[in-house]
Amino acid sequence: MPRLNPSAHNKAHLLLTLVLLCLTGSLYQPLQLWILVLVLCSVAIRLSLYMNWQKHQISLRTLNLLAILSAIALAYFGWQLGLLLGMLNLLVMASSLKLMLLGSRRDYFQLVGVQFFLLGTGLVFQQNIAFSLFYAVLALMLLLSLAFHISPSTRFVTQLKRVGKLCLQALPLSLLLFLVIPKLGPLWQMPNAGSSKSGLSEKVTPGDIANLARSADLAFRATFSGAVPKEGQRYWRALVLEEFDGRSWQVHPYRSKFRERMQSSRFSFAPPVAGPTFDYQIIAQPTQQKWLYGLDIARSDAPLVYHSHDYQLISQIPLQSTFSYQVRSYYNTPLVAAYPGIDDNINLQVPKNGNPRTREWAAKLLQEHPDPKDYIAAIESYFTSNGFRYTLRPNPMPVDPVDQFLFDDRAGFCSHYASAMTYLLRLGGIPARMVTGYLGGEMRGEAYMSVHQYDAHAWVEWLSDTGWQRLDPTVLVSPMRLDFGLEQAVAYENSFLADAPFNLAALKNIAWLNQVRLLLADMDYYWSRMVLGFDRQNQQALLRSILGQLTPGRLALFGLAVVALIALLLGLYQLKQWLPHRHAPATRYYQKALTMLAAQGIERPEWQGPQDFSEVATAQLSPQAAVYFKQLSALYSSHQYRPASAQAQKQSLQKMRLLLKRLKKALRTAPSFRQQP
Amino acid sequence: MRMAMQNQIQQAVVEISQLIIGKQREIKLALTCLLAGGHLLIEDLPGMGKTTLSHALARVFGLDFSRVQFTSDLLPADMLGVNIFNSQTQAFVFHPGPLFSQVVLADEINRASPKTQSALLEAMEERQVSLDGETHKLPSPFFVIGTQNPIHQAGTYPLPESQLDRFLMRIQLGYPSWQAEKAMLQQPMQDNATTIKPVLDETLLAQIQQSIPKVHAAEGILDYILRLVTLSRESEQFPNALSPRATKALLQAARSWAVVEGRDYLIPEDVQAVLPAVAEHRLRSALTDHPTQTSLSRILLEQVDPLAA
Repeated sequence: MPRLNPSAHNKAHLLLTLVLLCLTGSLYQPLQLWILVLVLCSVAIRLSLYMNWQKHQISLRTLNLLAILSAIALAYFGWQLGLLLGMLNLLVMASSLKLMLLGSRRDYFQLVGVQFFLLGTGLVFQQNIAFSLFYAVLALMLLLSLAFHISPSTRFVTQLKRVGKLCLQALPLSLLLFLVIPKLGPLWQMPNAGSSKSGLSEKVTPGDIANLARSADLAFRATFSGAVPKEGQRYWRALVLEEFDGRSWQVHPYRSKFRERMQSSRFSFAPPVAGPTFDYQIIAQPTQQKWLYGLDIARSDAPLVYHSHDYQLISQIPLQSTFSYQVRSYYNTPLVAAYPGIDDNINLQVPKNGNPRTREWAAKLLQEHPDPKDYIAAIESYFTSNGFRYTLRPNPMPVDPVDQFLFDDRAGFCSHYASAMTYLLRLGGIPARMVTGYLGGEMRGEAYMSVHQYDAHAWVEWLSDTGWQRLDPTVLVSPMRLDFGLEQAVAYENSFLADAPFNLAALKNIAWLNQVRLLLADMDYYWSRMVLGFDRQNQQALLRSILGQLTPGRLALFGLAVVALIALLLGLYQLKQWLPHRHAPATRYYQKALTMLAAQGIERPEWQGPQDFSEVATAQLSPQAAVYFKQLSALYSSHQYRPASAQAQKQSLQKMRLLLKRLKKALRTAPSFRQQP
Repeated sequence: MRMAMQNQIQQAVVEISQLIIGKQREIKLALTCLLAGGHLLIEDLPGMGKTTLSHALARVFGLDFSRVQFTSDLLPADMLGVNIFNSQTQAFVFHPGPLFSQVVLADEINRASPKTQSALLEAMEERQVSLDGETHKLPSPFFVIGTQNPIHQAGTYPLPESQLDRFLMRIQLGYPSWQAEKAMLQQPMQDNATTIKPVLDETLLAQIQQSIPKVHAAEGILDYILRLVTLSRESEQFPNALSPRATKALLQAARSWAVVEGRDYLIPEDVQAVLPAVAEHRLRSALTDHPTQTSLSRILLEQVDPLAA
């Protein structure tokens, strides 16, 4: 049986519908396409019911059929989704079906509850400021919907004010709870599927980093305490690539196996370190990968950070959300080889075939310069003296890329130089490897340094007697890259962020836009650091700074204090209901005057009107006070009971205030002369 | 315009005061009642000036006036009129009784039999008279000023509550003050209402009556009235509670009082001024009435704060 339309011009239902639409829109990635379609259908149905184009609800029988079909579809498509995604899809599907059904109060409240839950789920996927604000707005809309459900005919602005006030009241409470509620680890494994990788990768084909260089996304931020490294020292190591197949570099399989073995036996690499240090905290953006960033030699005490034997910092779990860790870098300590045999062995391997001209040239060069230092100097002078260019637009090099780069094009990006250099060094019998990471970083005042994807870089390390030496062939060709960053280095060809002309970083030259960009960066920084970065350790540090040592007794006391504080806040919000009703200003002024008179012994009988009382009172007051009180009474009476414009009301209020002051003065200087009642 | 109205009303008060000395407040109340279009009941002992006041009121309004002296043997026909057979035209002709006047003084209303009383009260409510199947309209404006003796006096039939309710106000004149009575004695003999000049005419009266519903009643005033009424219903102190008709009457009378005072908005004092006249006869039990008893409306008044929000 078709049921009547409960949604016609029902703002509560409309708002709820919009929230579901927006939520689904923000979650479109993890959701399945057919569920999106289902949501759109239900939104369309609800909207047409709201506009009263369609007057009857869908029949229950149709809905049941649809629900069964949807359940089968979800069971078929969704069984491999995993717990989180499966639940998310199920919830959104159920919400859209419920939205089609929506009729009774119970349906409505269920749906609102589910929407709140979905809001929370959305924050699992997106955590930056913009999304948090967006979800806050959605939450506000849901509250508004509830407000409209309860009092449908109230004006929108009034409702908004009411809900806004409630939210403001809730703010300190939630802040408190955010600070003190124990931080639990994630209850489920985050799915990796569907989330795109960003940033560096474990396999570099020269040219890849050039693509990265066109992205203005943030890679990580560092907050220094103490000395800040100069431009030339900002080599952020991320990955060490030791396997070369003639075209691409990647992590050596032996190395990764070795690392796995070490990690499983909890054996961390601890080289001797000494000398001056940089101390900083890094907040890394999510990459879905495990590697971390640090300046050589980076040591970290953070519990989830592992030190590998090639001086990398590696996280135990993939970075699914922003990850912060404290690092101390001993920048003057040489990088000794951890296991010289292994390092030598895998860093001398070259492919047997390919790049014939390079090999021939290297052999010739080795004959001329048998000493490794001379050999390296010769290669360097080859780079500097043969018109090599630094470019973001290298030619594709499909066959024998090193040959083409070294002898034909002589133009390339950092990875071309690093790749060619490493290859040449290995051909010359010098153990060498490619290191990728970031070079540079934009300092924001004294506060923090932002490193973006366009700072991605690749350089060379070769093994000398004292340890691994950094060698950056790119800088030989383009010294600007080192000192001024990528933008200046490629300024001659205008290719910096050329693919994203409207990106704020690409518009750095316009002063106010740059201000906006920096402001946004600041906001994002503090958000990541203060809100997202507030983890268990920070919480414990906070508690420790409040309580000193964390004994169970103190913790219990603290918990009680928090509960008491919350009760106090709630009490504060209720205070207005408990206190006697606060009068409108006019009544307040008049009551004040009455109190003054009562202090003189002239009391108004409870039932007397202001005019009558002023007759009684003026007979007992000093002439001056009598005049003022009489005027005040007359003004009060007409303010309360006479229709008047807002302007006139305001004026009479002002006059009343003035009269009240004068009355006070008059009463002080000449008290009433009444003796008898 | 309002000034003119105000002047005329003041003038009327002055005129009547010449005749009934020292009773300004009662005179104003009586005027208020008639301006509000309600009927007036004057209750007092004989010789207090009831009849003089009602006569003066009629004169001052410039309306035609008739007086019916109620006695225990007065029949409805004596008051309403009769159909008399005219032998020449072979038809009944209606001879209107004294009720067909603009102002009717029903003197000693509680001395008539209940039958006559109800005939009068029906005419007061309907403003028309039905006789032998024919309906005769009473003139407009139509005011009844009833006077009655206190009930405990011999030879009275007390008006039931339902009929007392028909009177918008009931006032008592009371004894005059020393000075007033002395002034009365000093005056040359002129307790004759014919010396009073008509001050108001029908058009002015109509204008005044039209202005009464336009008097602004702020929400605070309505709340005050409702608090009064509610208290009369909830408290055990009052034999009868105030009906919604009484609530309306209270507002109407207060508005009329405000007009008499020359204001176009209500203040709590307006309500307080008319409350005894409007509420007293409605609160009391009709049988146990005693005018010297503590006034019930006073008790009611003193329990409600007009300023409370």
